[in-house]
Amino acid sequence: MTHRPSIFLRSLSTPLILILVLVAFLALATFMNSGPFNQVVIDGLVKVTLVVGLYVFIGNSGVLSFGHIGFTCLGAYATAWLTIPPLMKKMALPGLPEFILEAKLPYGLGIGFGALFAGAFALVVGKILMRLSGIAASIATFAMLAVINTVYSNWERVTGATSSVVGIPIVRVVWPYCLAAVVSIVIAHLYAISRSGLALRAARDEAIAASASGVDIGRERLIAFVISAVITGMGGALSAHSVGVVTPDTFYLNLTFICLSMLVVGGMNSLSGAVMGVVVLSVIIQVLRQFEKGVSLGGTVVSIPNGLQEIAIGIVMVVILIARPTGLTRNQEIVWQGWPFKRVSAATEP
Amino acid sequence: MIANALTSVDISVSFEGLKALSAVNIAITRGAVTGLIGPNGAGKTTLVNVLTGFQTATQGHVAMDRVVLDSAPAHRIRHLGIARTFQSGRLFSDLPVLDNLAVTGVGLGLSRGDSEARAAAMLDWMGISPLADRIAGSLPYTDERRVAIARALMLEPKYLLLDEPAAGMSAAEGDDLVALIRRIVAEIGCGVLLIEHNIGMVLRICDHIYVLDSGEIIEDGTPASIRTSEKVRHAYMGTQADAEGEIL
Repeated sequence: MTHRPSIFLRSLSTPLILILVLVAFLALATFMNSGPFNQVVIDGLVKVTLVVGLYVFIGNSGVLSFGHIGFTCLGAYATAWLTIPPLMKKMALPGLPEFILEAKLPYGLGIGFGALFAGAFALVVGKILMRLSGIAASIATFAMLAVINTVYSNWERVTGATSSVVGIPIVRVVWPYCLAAVVSIVIAHLYAISRSGLALRAARDEAIAASASGVDIGRERLIAFVISAVITGMGGALSAHSVGVVTPDTFYLNLTFICLSMLVVGGMNSLSGAVMGVVVLSVIIQVLRQFEKGVSLGGTVVSIPNGLQEIAIGIVMVVILIARPTGLTRNQEIVWQGWPFKRVSAATEP
Repeated sequence: MIANALTSVDISVSFEGLKALSAVNIAITRGAVTGLIGPNGAGKTTLVNVLTGFQTATQGHVAMDRVVLDSAPAHRIRHLGIARTFQSGRLFSDLPVLDNLAVTGVGLGLSRGDSEARAAAMLDWMGISPLADRIAGSLPYTDERRVAIARALMLEPKYLLLDEPAAGMSAAEGDDLVALIRRIVAEIGCGVLLIEHNIGMVLRICDHIYVLDSGEIIEDGTPASIRTSEKVRHAYMGTQADAEGEIL
């Protein structure tokens, strides 16, 4: 019997490479954008957090969730409730409980509570939803998104209904977003190599055999559901602080579609796929935006009509999915097998 | 109820009025190989599903070592030490072979590191250590079968239920399987239930054999008594009696 290094060491190269990719992406974006580049970079980092959060549940369980952007909404409003100055809150959101109305927390705490709030909600809802599997589970998560959106669009005195909630402290520096993206990558990786992560991926492949191996599938799914809700909730809170305004429809179908696209294009069964999907699609979107504004090439200004960007992204997705149905990373993790990491078996070892 | 045995007591299962099993009583004893034979559709797999928590009995109950298992879910049954294999293999095809085994470890509460160590030891015991890093979906049929048995043997279950483990195997591979089952009984001490269409193999290694036909146990006894049973020859072999007569 040969001695093998622990799973932690064997798989350590993956999160390190992904964090390096992120840093390279940051450097490139900083270098290329002369305009309000912070916002572009911050958007990208928030997307990394959201898509990595989605991956924790979808990638490991194999259950497609359309509902996670609902957790984003919960996180965003939770930090809004806690960080908006009390005077503004009393006018705009008079229905909030007294202790929240009086609260004025720093944004870091607001984000933390936002993440926990989303996680707690997922724990309650997941107890019921995780009994379902396959398409029934997917539809149930979609229903959850619709319910959250409807409640937040109508509960005038607590959420301001469909009107914008303003006064959220705006955070324009990049590092908190970068830190959040790195933290979410680390959490997602640790989950993937955990006992629960292994058991859940086994259940994804063969649910019946996983039960016969002693795996309580409902329990493992619930663990993944809550962790992914915490990460997507944190992403929502970050997104609120990046623009200073929230509305329920910011966290609905459009965002669900773009985040799922990024995950699918990257390869939804791997953490590397989640990160690469965001990086690749974000770059494409950014380039197309530049062309919509007009780009000077050898003296002539080349521009594409407004709105072509969305169509182009759709085409890019179709092409990628036809050429590589399992995503850019072929559902496998990026690993470095040379020094100082021992050689590991190719792929799927997260 | 018998000590040191997994027993089905008057188990009946109906699917929308259709009786799949009626009042089936069998006992799988520790340290012995019990055979279950019968024609296709007799209800053999349904019985295994009941014994492993995948199917709830309409009537009757399952007892292990004198304790009644109260329709526990499948993963709880595995915790109690009752393991099974499937006709179709059902390996975790995206995972390496080592992880296929390690899943049982983490499912039963070990850490991932401990699970991997146990999995490596089990592969070693089975003599298939070189397969450890292969992706399970890429294995040839015979290796797939062996990995499935190794996975079921993780953490040394008290009872092992093998659902047609020899299907599609050559005669030589069948001999290897017979040797493996003997080792499992001798070294791990499992009570093995062997469901097989290969009657020769069943007669060779089983200590006690049950014959299931249309959901009912029509005969049980030692290989010698089954071999000579007119009832079994008639019901089970039917028109194939001539073709397989020499085995019996």
